[in-house]
Amino acid sequence: MSEAAVTAGEIVREAAALRRSLEAGFREEVVTSLYGEVERITRRAVHDAGSHPLELDQRIDRIVTSRLLGLPLMLGILAVVFWLTIVGANVPSQMLAAGFFWFEDVAAGWFTQLGAPWWLTGFLWHGVYRGLAWVVSVMLPPMAIFFPLFTILEDLGYLPRVAFNLDYLFKRAGAHGKQALSMAMGFGCNAAGVIATRVIDSPRERLVAILTNNFVPCNGRFPTLIMLATVFVAASFSPAVASLVAAGSVVGIVLVGVLFTLVVSWALSRTVLRGEASAFTLELPPYRRPAMARILYTSLIDRTLFVLWRAILTAAPAGAVIWLLANISPGGVSLATRTASFLDPLGWAMGLDGVILLAYIIAIPANEIVVPTMLMVYMSQGMMTDLQSMDALRSLLVDQHGWTVLTAVNLMLFSLLHNPCATTIITIYKETLSVRWTTIGAVLPLALGFIVTILTAAFARGFLGF
Amino acid sequence: MTTFLIILVVVLIVVMPTHGLAAQLRRYRLTLTRERTENALKHLLRQATEGHAASFASLQGVLRVSDRQLMALTQHLERDGLVRSEGALFQLTPDGERVALHVLRAHRLWELYLADELGVPIDRVHEQAERAEHSLSKAQLDRLSASMGHPELDPHGDPIPTADGQVPTSPGTPLGAWPPSVPGRIVHLEDEPPLAYAQLSAEGLRLGQIVRVIDRSPTRVVLSDGENEYRLAPMVAANVHVAAVEAQPAPAAWPADVIPLSGLVTGESAEVVALDPAFRGFARRRLLDLGFTPGARIRSDLATFAGDPRAYRLRGTTIALRREQSDRVLVRRLA
Repeated sequence: MSEAAVTAGEIVREAAALRRSLEAGFREEVVTSLYGEVERITRRAVHDAGSHPLELDQRIDRIVTSRLLGLPLMLGILAVVFWLTIVGANVPSQMLAAGFFWFEDVAAGWFTQLGAPWWLTGFLWHGVYRGLAWVVSVMLPPMAIFFPLFTILEDLGYLPRVAFNLDYLFKRAGAHGKQALSMAMGFGCNAAGVIATRVIDSPRERLVAILTNNFVPCNGRFPTLIMLATVFVAASFSPAVASLVAAGSVVGIVLVGVLFTLVVSWALSRTVLRGEASAFTLELPPYRRPAMARILYTSLIDRTLFVLWRAILTAAPAGAVIWLLANISPGGVSLATRTASFLDPLGWAMGLDGVILLAYIIAIPANEIVVPTMLMVYMSQGMMTDLQSMDALRSLLVDQHGWTVLTAVNLMLFSLLHNPCATTIITIYKETLSVRWTTIGAVLPLALGFIVTILTAAFARGFLGF
Repeated sequence: MTTFLIILVVVLIVVMPTHGLAAQLRRYRLTLTRERTENALKHLLRQATEGHAASFASLQGVLRVSDRQLMALTQHLERDGLVRSEGALFQLTPDGERVALHVLRAHRLWELYLADELGVPIDRVHEQAERAEHSLSKAQLDRLSASMGHPELDPHGDPIPTADGQVPTSPGTPLGAWPPSVPGRIVHLEDEPPLAYAQLSAEGLRLGQIVRVIDRSPTRVVLSDGENEYRLAPMVAANVHVAAVEAQPAPAAWPADVIPLSGLVTGESAEVVALDPAFRGFARRRLLDLGFTPGARIRSDLATFAGDPRAYRLRGTTIALRREQSDRVLVRRLA
């Protein structure tokens, strides 16, 4: 007995010695034998029933990834999604706004009857509540349409094909093809897009994706883009095609955003995030029939309400600030007007004006309140307003405040290229846990926005006679 | 009242635990002391393995601190029982050696992790590991080592100390002591000092390469791998270690009908033969996990507008690969 006893130490030593003699490829042998076993079991247990949905899958794949049709098809689907969102969100948005603002008047009326001081009524109802109402009525309907549509594409299995189609461009930019997935998510919400970069394994490429996610316009910025597209681009077309033209212009802006994403990714990969493109393996799963109930649940509860809740948290204080700025008037001129005229020179250099910059500063917590804030200051009213008719809007901007095509173009550009909203900045910090990358993520797009708009304005003034 | 509040806030900012200025300063100095201590121990270990003793001067050359700071540091090390001094020379005690081996293990494991798992370019891993080595605990190292399958060599070919403080013997002979014209396989490229290593990697020398010394003079050493010639200063050449080429070297060339996967035209089928042996780490394991194992049948299925990436049909799934990966999968065409 005693002679056969082997101590643990001897086993470990023996194993360490034998390990040296292992062939370098023993891992392969382990994996190969596992797969061999799996194949054996499959052959015994699985029978092919004779239906071949796979072949249909492969036929679809040939079309959606084909050299000629792949990219146009992708743009077409994108345009249809935007068009459905624009057209479908219009009526519910107006209904929500009407309802919310009706309640605002009623509630303000109660306050006045109860003898509350005017500033309390104004602050609570025309400030905080109105800010919230704006965000909900402008954001909720497009998100409630966009997110389910997006989830359908995701559930179908189309998004991996998009990543596959675009990977070559991302590879040239030193980034990962799956960045296309996080960008697509960014159309809904940049904060969600930043979280979606978790699918990228390489930390370097993931950072590239996080820092550039803001270059795809999110739902909160679409109202600005859609308004500009409608007032300045689509206005000269017949109403029948106006919504199509508007959707087309929005797609155009999105393409500019994609271009910036690629260029900035390229630049980052050659400077602060230097490195080679990492391994790229992407499974293209079989197409599946979307599970509608689950889609509605995940897109409405997980995405829409989640994003909306965070927007509400930031919009309430913003509404309060807007009200205070517009209603505190030392020397008879409101703080809003004073700040706007202070910002005017910088705004002029960027082809914009002080009011627009002020609106962007106030809108840091939530981008959807940019347009209402702008209109409020323009009309020198005490609260955020909306103009029901596009003609009235056009005459306010063009005739009374000197907007030109340059203003519209630069506002679109600046809407694309400026600091992320507070929610996204917080999310970047949560995902990177680094003050440095969060700062870069916030400052880089803003700096780019300043440079691009100033150059565009200088060019337009110098050569095009604006 | 206001003055009192201001004073209170200022005092709080300074002395608040964890976040106060005083606490931050203390943490900063502790970290600095720890890094210096560990770098000193590392230096002593290196000198000991090379058979030299470390002196005050050699320590100063590595740590770049003032005389007074170094004096305090060595006294500190002696008091903690990590170092023994004999006249002007210093030696590690067994305790000191344990600490030094831990730091060395952290450095080499982290280098391997960066190079293999994260794909950091190999000439940049040393610098990053130099910082990370001071903040990894033993438990973290054990997990890191286990996750990579208890590797024995770092990406430069240096042996990684085991958890119980054993250092596997470093294989290979420095080029300076290698007989001329005898082929040797490069088993180790020393990454200290970084400047010499940068020159080696700039020349294009890499682990596993088979080279011969074809000329040696006091001013230079000339190597050849049968294709290119490499001219190195003798100082730099001493950082290259070679070992005898095994009786059966790795298959020099695959049969002519074995081609990279990227060579298939869309629609063609093939059988996987092997993954390129030089293809390592995370990316290799990923392909294996997806089922790119020898014998598997594969068909080139889809190509994008640019012809890269391509998607392949394998074991009933469609998997897209970039050219960099599909070049590393070796296949044989099927009729």
